[in-house]
Amino acid sequence: MVGGRRWVVAGEEKREKGEERGEERGEEREKRWSPAASRPELGPEVGRRHRGAPDIDSPSELSAGEDVPAIRRDGGDSEQGLHNGVPDRHRRPPLRRPRRCQHRPPPRQQVRLREVRSSQAPARSHRPGLRRLQFLPSGHHFALDLFCLVDRKRKSRKKSRKNERTFLAETQATGRIEVVKNVASQSLEVKKLAYLYLLHYAEKRPNEALLSINCFQKDLGDPNPLVRAWALRTMAGIRLHVIAPIVLVAVGKCARDPSVYVRKCAANALPKLHDLRLEENATAIEEVVGMLLKDHSPSVVGAAAAAFASVCPNNLPLVGRNFRRLCEILPDVEEWGQIILIGILLRYVVARHGLVRESVMFSLHHTESNKSEKGSSESETKFTLEEGNGDMGWNYESELAKMVSQCYIEGPDAYLSRSSFLDKGSSEFKGECFTSSRSNEDVKILLQCTSPLLWSNNSAVLLAAAGVHWIMAPREDVKRIVKPLLFVLRSSNASKYVVLCNIQVFAKAMPYLFSPYFEDFFICSSDSYPIKALKLDILASIATDSSISSILKEFQDYIRDPDRRFAADTIAAIGICMQRLPKMANTCLEGLLALTKQEFYTSDIGSMEGEAGVLVQAILSIKSIIRQDPLSHEKVIIQLVRSLDSIKVPAARAMIIWMVGEYNSLGELIPRMLTTVLKYLARCFTSEALETKLQILNTAVKVLLCAKGEDMLTFERILSYLLELAKCDLNYDIRDRACFLKKLLSSYLDSRGAEAETDCPPENKELSRVLAKSILGGQTKSLIPESNNHRIYLPGSLSQIVLHAAPGYEPLPKPCSLKGDDLDINATGDQATSDPSISDDVDSVTGSLDEETASQYSSQHSSTGSGGSYGSDETGLEREDDDNTNPLIQLSDPGNTCRVQNHASETGSADFGELMSKSALDSWLDDQPGFSNVNSSEPSPINRSSARISIGNIKEKIKRKSYVLLDPVNGNGLKVDYCFSSEISSISSLLVCVEASFKNCSTDPMSSITLVDEESNKVLDNADQSSTLTESSVTSQDDVPTLVSKDEITSLEPDQTTTRILQVRFHHHLLPLKLALYCNGKRHPVRLWPDIGFFIKAVPLELDAFISDESHLKGMFECTRSCIFSDHIGDSNKDKDEGSLVTTDKFLEICRSLALKMLSNANLFLVSVDMPIASNLDDASGLCLRFSGEILSSSKLCLITITVKGKCWEPLNISVKVNCEETVFGLNLLNRVVNFLVEPSS
Amino acid sequence: MLQCIFLISDSGEVMLEKQLTGHRVDRSICAWFWEHALSQGDSSKGITFLACSQVEMPPLMAIEFLCRVADVLSDYLGGLNEDLIKDNFIIVYEVFEPTLVLVITNQFLVNVEHDFLFERATASCVPWRTTDTKYANNEVYVDLVEEMDAIINRDGVLVKCEIYGEVQVNSHLSGLPDLTLSFANPSVLDDVRFHPCVRFRPWESDQILSFVPPDGQFKLMSYRVRKLKSTPIYVKPQLTSDAGACRISLLVGIRNDPGKIIDSITVEFQLPPCVLSAELSSNHGTVNILSSKKCSWSIGRIPKDKTPSMSGTLVLETGLERLHVFPTFVVGFRIMGIALSGVKIDKLDIKNLPNKPYKGFRALTHAGEFEVRS
Repeated sequence: MVGGRRWVVAGEEKREKGEERGEERGEEREKRWSPAASRPELGPEVGRRHRGAPDIDSPSELSAGEDVPAIRRDGGDSEQGLHNGVPDRHRRPPLRRPRRCQHRPPPRQQVRLREVRSSQAPARSHRPGLRRLQFLPSGHHFALDLFCLVDRKRKSRKKSRKNERTFLAETQATGRIEVVKNVASQSLEVKKLAYLYLLHYAEKRPNEALLSINCFQKDLGDPNPLVRAWALRTMAGIRLHVIAPIVLVAVGKCARDPSVYVRKCAANALPKLHDLRLEENATAIEEVVGMLLKDHSPSVVGAAAAAFASVCPNNLPLVGRNFRRLCEILPDVEEWGQIILIGILLRYVVARHGLVRESVMFSLHHTESNKSEKGSSESETKFTLEEGNGDMGWNYESELAKMVSQCYIEGPDAYLSRSSFLDKGSSEFKGECFTSSRSNEDVKILLQCTSPLLWSNNSAVLLAAAGVHWIMAPREDVKRIVKPLLFVLRSSNASKYVVLCNIQVFAKAMPYLFSPYFEDFFICSSDSYPIKALKLDILASIATDSSISSILKEFQDYIRDPDRRFAADTIAAIGICMQRLPKMANTCLEGLLALTKQEFYTSDIGSMEGEAGVLVQAILSIKSIIRQDPLSHEKVIIQLVRSLDSIKVPAARAMIIWMVGEYNSLGELIPRMLTTVLKYLARCFTSEALETKLQILNTAVKVLLCAKGEDMLTFERILSYLLELAKCDLNYDIRDRACFLKKLLSSYLDSRGAEAETDCPPENKELSRVLAKSILGGQTKSLIPESNNHRIYLPGSLSQIVLHAAPGYEPLPKPCSLKGDDLDINATGDQATSDPSISDDVDSVTGSLDEETASQYSSQHSSTGSGGSYGSDETGLEREDDDNTNPLIQLSDPGNTCRVQNHASETGSADFGELMSKSALDSWLDDQPGFSNVNSSEPSPINRSSARISIGNIKEKIKRKSYVLLDPVNGNGLKVDYCFSSEISSISSLLVCVEASFKNCSTDPMSSITLVDEESNKVLDNADQSSTLTESSVTSQDDVPTLVSKDEITSLEPDQTTTRILQVRFHHHLLPLKLALYCNGKRHPVRLWPDIGFFIKAVPLELDAFISDESHLKGMFECTRSCIFSDHIGDSNKDKDEGSLVTTDKFLEICRSLALKMLSNANLFLVSVDMPIASNLDDASGLCLRFSGEILSSSKLCLITITVKGKCWEPLNISVKVNCEETVFGLNLLNRVVNFLVEPSS
Repeated sequence: MLQCIFLISDSGEVMLEKQLTGHRVDRSICAWFWEHALSQGDSSKGITFLACSQVEMPPLMAIEFLCRVADVLSDYLGGLNEDLIKDNFIIVYEVFEPTLVLVITNQFLVNVEHDFLFERATASCVPWRTTDTKYANNEVYVDLVEEMDAIINRDGVLVKCEIYGEVQVNSHLSGLPDLTLSFANPSVLDDVRFHPCVRFRPWESDQILSFVPPDGQFKLMSYRVRKLKSTPIYVKPQLTSDAGACRISLLVGIRNDPGKIIDSITVEFQLPPCVLSAELSSNHGTVNILSSKKCSWSIGRIPKDKTPSMSGTLVLETGLERLHVFPTFVVGFRIMGIALSGVKIDKLDIKNLPNKPYKGFRALTHAGEFEVRS
């Protein structure tokens, strides 16, 4: 090849830079877009993968589908790509491939681009695609996508072209619904187009999308994995609540697909499902996530990690089960997945094992908090000495580093707020929160698997891996992260900035890590200002005694940089350096002084704003250096004072004057020159700027306070003079200050002048003197660098860059918050629920538990079945209760088998007696599996057994809630309340019975009260669009009157109450019915609000029937919501006071209050109550109530299951599940149920 | 999760807006950003890629992503500037979308719906390569491209000198070839970063690069060699100011002859704002002064008979006696055929290939951030 040959001799070549670059680019571009490079090798695999399924798609067709990326770019070349992809050799061999453009002349690129354009342009003019561009309303790019597909096809097969034409023709001619039909098309191309169309318009036209659901489900079974993946993706992309359950099932199915790609799509679909906020399906989604995390393909795991992070980032047990494997697979996961997976793994390890004892995080607050552990702290200080060249500043830095680790775990906001009023040193992490990286395998493996990622080409991966090492690695290994981090400084400005922000925190907490690499932070002229500032800050914090001289030399260069803002920052950095390393302070001060001398020449020039900044900063730095050891820098102060005359910048002058006041009694020389200085200041007072004037006043006072002897008189005079001047100042601040000082110093000022007037008691004078001294006389304490201002977030997070918690930021989990036992139990539990095929084997897998189960089984069996002494005692006791208190609880039919699949209740048998004695139960009934976790769609074995009870006499306690129909204020004294009754209308099933009570609150009798429906003839207002479909069946029977009212109330005496049963037909179960109430001939418009709870009637149902009906109403007929229920708390407290016997059982209380609430608010039948036999008596989890009902209008079953979770004495977490064939009704009913459960009972 | 991506021209005009989620980000954010960028003194040339996110996400992830988008775009358009983008707007938009897919998968694309047009459908055993690539002539080229960063301070001392190098591979090999690249002196490498195709184990144990290459051109590895002792050329600036004027002279010459020809030598510097006007001349090459007070002296190759020098006078602002801030000279050069770091490729073994492929090697060094302060 030409290219090759020239390459070898390339050393001798003299080529223009630009030319070469252009060529290489051309080459690269071509490669990148050449179909062969981007084309997935799907074709052959499809056939192989699919259990010998017949080759459904001709290979050419398939490849056409996949080759799409190449289409538009390669205009003419695409054909070749196609052939490359297709494993047939009949095609023209790729003779003249443009690949070797290595040495093609540069204009080639333009030629190629033109080619692309010209190849498309004529195509558009005569092809139907163009017309489609007009009909697709939004986003030409979408149209273009389609167009490209079509364009592609032009080259290949005529047959599918015909398909396309039909597609196009149909879409154009018949409107959009027809488009959807094409999902069923046999052609992959057309199918793809239709999928695209659906995705684009699903949200705008949900009904059309719904039409195609069946096709999706069919496609999910397609032998071609691509089709399955598309179907799944499109389904998930149609964001409609209605189909969410179907999608969930589909995702679950696809997660087990043999094709990697389909599984990956399933993982990608999960966050979309999660976005729909399906609380009821949350567990099911999490199960799928867990399953996908177990996948053996890295690409699936990467997608699953992303799903995990967005669906259930806190469900760490899910990670725990696969932790090792996830670590091992980490290097193979694609890079974007790696970033997320690293974060997840880190969180898991911290939650599971806590921080590492040898890590930076630990050592830092350990040195302070555990002084008692002499050995370790000694070795640590030794370590510090060895590692960090010089231990100075260690204390301050350890303070900061301690903060770092606390911030990571608590979040800086929490930490800062806590530390403001609490002792910062209060270390809440005890020894057990720490683990050792040497002994802990999990930590070891995490570090091992993340360390090669420090070589990643992707800086985000690198930073994530560095974060793990920073937090978890032993101190001696942390330096591993330094070089990779510094390497990122070679990339783009933006990433440079991000990495520097992170290095800044690392370097402040552990300066010795970066101190040998100070040269990397030297500043280039091409750096942007924020980067320069960061580098300066880092340099200042990593400077050591050995490197400081080089750094200072570098700083000297920076001071002469044309960017004066940067020069000023450099001077500030010098000040910080000198505070850390005072040894060089003298040389530095000289340099800075020279700078002030030099600058004042230039500061005369008006345009030099930057110079003023430099000067001020120089004096600030001098000030901070002097503050550390004022005595030895006396001469510096004097030099500064001498230069007062030439320094014109007000801020700088003010600072020098402040120094005079502050150090007025220092050393020998300063006191001697005070008089002159003060006189000078007094002379130029009027011409000063505001801040300087204020400072002059302060200084004069300070000097006076410290003065002794004959100087005092002079100072007093000067001060009085100044105060007089200040009183007439234009600025009110200065006038105020003068007034204040005058009052404060009245004792001084008056002491001589008005000695005679001794009105003031002497102690008063003394007092003001003390006051003045303490306000102005005290020397400012030397400040330690304020580390509290730092806000520290996890390394690599957005929050660390913006320095506030971004939405979604979460600090590390609490160390060791995830207990090992938790994990195991959850692990087995979840495993069992997630995969029904395994669930049978659970017992056999956990062999040790098997025996226990068996023994428990037998003991329970004997106690119930054979009626041993233990059991009969209980029944006796219960009978007594029965007689005495007429209990709410009655036993239901006793069963005698006890299939307890409980492998977690070793303590269960022990609690048996206790529970039995308390609760008035006759016997234990069949254990019904599957209620500890109603959320999962499959019945699953539970780790708690439960007993079934029934609650009697509850009907008497039911209180229907009554609503106000007419207020006596509005109704001239007529008060009408209504409540829904459980009666069933005899006239029509569409009618709901409402009991209205009329009360005359006025003093006059009333007559002829009628309730009339005035709008019955008007057109129904179907406001709720979404429910039009379901409503249609209801509205079909239009002949039923809206209101069937019994005879009118002829008269109503004062205070008399009459009730009437109204039969009302609500047109919509959410919208009120507008009625008119006539009373005394006057019309009152009233509104009757429907209650969906009474749109159903109670249907007595056996439990078996309930369960079988329920099993028929799965999927989209099922909806679930959770809420918090707290009624029982009030109840039980109340009952406790009464001291009744029955109430000692909390479970019954809960059952009773739940059932009461349900039955009072909806017309339901209580089918069964399942009680948990928990190992923990306080734990009400597993309590399950079932209710049945039938929709009045359509006689369709409506099943409600309530499952309880939580502790008895706390508000319970309740999940309500409604199974109903009418989904909209079901949903609304569910909402209603949740609403009334949540609202406190009156 | 990224919510939106904007492309902003160098004048602050929004050229392209791509919303990735249902929560639209208003375009006005660009104006805000632009103001902020200007206030920070970022005189940004070329196209700005702006991505918006309201929620926590690794910022580097977004930056890295944008960098790749930019790479792909400039590869495809043969450059990246306002005119190119406007000329090829449709193509850019098109490229933009599939790029998202090619480069980035799940995290960002959860909401990008039509990525499936462009997906890599199923994973082969190496996701970055298809198994059925076929070439009549198998060839692979390995390039060592090095950039030299150096800082020479005002005293003429070499403060920092290091090499940033890349191993660029251009492979046109059939099937699934397995390559092994070894260096003669891997110990000089200070730090490395790898393309995802490189296996970590062999590097850890033997410092050998073992990989199955993607097809075409890619960056196999980048490395750093720190603390070099000398630079191939010297640049000696001298500025003496007196009575409102400043005399500048600049000498450029070869310090250590690398044995190959040094060409494309340029020196650029920005005159300080206090300089009113400048008059510069050279004995070799051309000197340009732009209106932004940016001067560039392109020398090309250093002649045998003389040392290139540039001299001139700067007129300072009135009232300014002498110059107190000094420009930094940014030097550019290129040396073909040598890697200045001394890194040498030992051999390249190719397994799994039926016929013997053609192998080509080349080296190139050019100046990175090479600056001389005065």
